[in-house]
Amino acid sequence: MSFFTNIIDWLIQVVPQMLIGCRLTVKLFLVTIVLSIPLGLILTFLYTGKNWIVKKVVGFYILIMRGTPLLLQIFFIFFGLPFVPVIGPYLVIEDRFTAGAIAFVLNYAAYFAEIFRGGILSVDKGQYEAAKVLGISEMQTKFKIVIPQMFRISLPAVANETIILLKDTALITTLGLSDLLKVTNDIVNRTTEVGAYALAAAFYLVLSYFLSILFKKLEKKFAF
Amino acid sequence: MYEIEALNVKKSFGDLEVLKGVSLNVAKGEVVAVLGPSGSGKSTFLRSLIDLEVVDGGSIKIAGEYLCKDGVYPKNKEKTRILSKAGMVFQHFNLFPHMSIKKNLMCAPMLNKQAGKAELEELAVEMLKKVGLEEKLNVMPSTLSGGQKQRVAIARALMRNPDIILFDEPTSALDPELTGEVLNVISKLADEGITMIVVTHEMGFAKEVADRVIFMYEGVVLEEGTPDVIFNNPANERTRTFIQSVLK
Repeated sequence: MSFFTNIIDWLIQVVPQMLIGCRLTVKLFLVTIVLSIPLGLILTFLYTGKNWIVKKVVGFYILIMRGTPLLLQIFFIFFGLPFVPVIGPYLVIEDRFTAGAIAFVLNYAAYFAEIFRGGILSVDKGQYEAAKVLGISEMQTKFKIVIPQMFRISLPAVANETIILLKDTALITTLGLSDLLKVTNDIVNRTTEVGAYALAAAFYLVLSYFLSILFKKLEKKFAF
Repeated sequence: MYEIEALNVKKSFGDLEVLKGVSLNVAKGEVVAVLGPSGSGKSTFLRSLIDLEVVDGGSIKIAGEYLCKDGVYPKNKEKTRILSKAGMVFQHFNLFPHMSIKKNLMCAPMLNKQAGKAELEELAVEMLKKVGLEEKLNVMPSTLSGGQKQRVAIARALMRNPDIILFDEPTSALDPELTGEVLNVISKLADEGITMIVVTHEMGFAKEVADRVIFMYEGVVLEEGTPDVIFNNPANERTRTFIQSVLK
C-alpha cells in the first residue's frame, strides 16, 4: 500500500507545478496560432499576388524562416537584436516571453504561408473559369470560391503543423521561462525522480490528442 | 442581326497555332453543334467566345457588341457587361464543391445583386425544377451523380437568364447511361429559343437538336451544313472519315 500512497503523495506534489508550466506552454501555443495563421494567410496572398517585388521579398522571408533553426531565431531575437549595428538599441525586447513569441509567430507564419499556398494551388482551375463565366469578379472569386476551398484542403497540413508547434513550444525553455518542460526538468534535478519526464510526456500527449480530435471534427464539419 | 459573330479568330499557344482564322455566325435561337477530332481547336474556339481564352487576332461580337475587335479587347468591366447574357457549361461541371446546390445557384446573382434574396431563392427552385432536381436544393454537390451535377451546372447557368449558352462537351465526362438526362435538358432549352453552341461527340444529339453542324479540323472550319448534309452527304473527305469513325 505504501508504494501507491507514495506515488499519490508525489503526484499531489508535482502535478500542480506542472500544470503551472502547462499554462505557459498553452499560452505560447495559443498566441502563436492566433497570430501566425492570419500572418501566414497574408504572406500567401502577397506571394500569389501580381507584384513581383513583393513576391521576391516574401519568398526570401520564407527561405530564411524555413531554412534556419527556430532555436537560432529565438536566440537572435532575444539575445542578438540589441547588438545589431545602429538600430540595435531600439530593438531590445525586455520581456522573454514576448521575444520568444515573436520568433514563434514569424517562424510559423512562414510554414502556414506555404501550406496555404499549396491549398490555393490545389483549387481546380475550372473553379476560376466557372466563377468568371458567371460574372463573379476576381476579388469575389478569391474570397468566396478559392479561400474556403483552400482552408478545407489545407486542414490536414495545418493540423500537422499545429501539433508540431505544441511540441516546439518546449524550445522556449532556453530563454529560462517556466514552461512545462522547464518545470519538469527542475523537478527531476531537484528530486532525481525520473517519473516527472513520463508525466510531462503524458501532458504533451493529452494536449496533442485533443488537438488531433479537434482537427478531425473540423475536417468533418467542412467536408465537401 | 446575329447573336454571335466570330470573324477570322486566331489563337496560338506558343508555336502551336490552334485557331487559324475561324469565322462563325450564329443567329438568335439557333443551335449549332461543333464536331471535330481532338486537337481541332473546337474547345479553344468556344472558350474564346466567352473570354476564357484571349485571342491573338480577329473579331468577336456578342449580341451586336464587340467582345474583341481585331484582337483588341475592351476593359474588364465592359467585357463583363457584354457577356452578362452569356453562360457556359463545362465538361467537368465545375460546381463549387463547398456550397450546397442552392448556394451554387445563388452565389453569383447574390454577389452581382441581380435581385433580392427571396426572389433569387424562388428563381433557384424554379431553375432546379426545370432540370428536374428540385429535391436536391439543399444537398452538397458531392452527393450527386455526374448527370445530376451537370444538370445543376445548367440550372446555375440559367440563373442569369442568358440569351446564349455555350456547352463544352457537356456529356464527355459522364457514364454512357447518364448522358440522356443531360441531353434531354439541353434539348428542352433549345426549344425555348436560347442560342446555343454545343461542342459534342454525341452524334445522335447533334443530328436531332442542332440546326447546323460545324466540322472543325486543325484550327479551321472545314465544313458546315445541316445535320442531314454533314452526316449523310459531307463534301469533304476528312469530314466523311471522321463521321464514319465516330458512328462506328
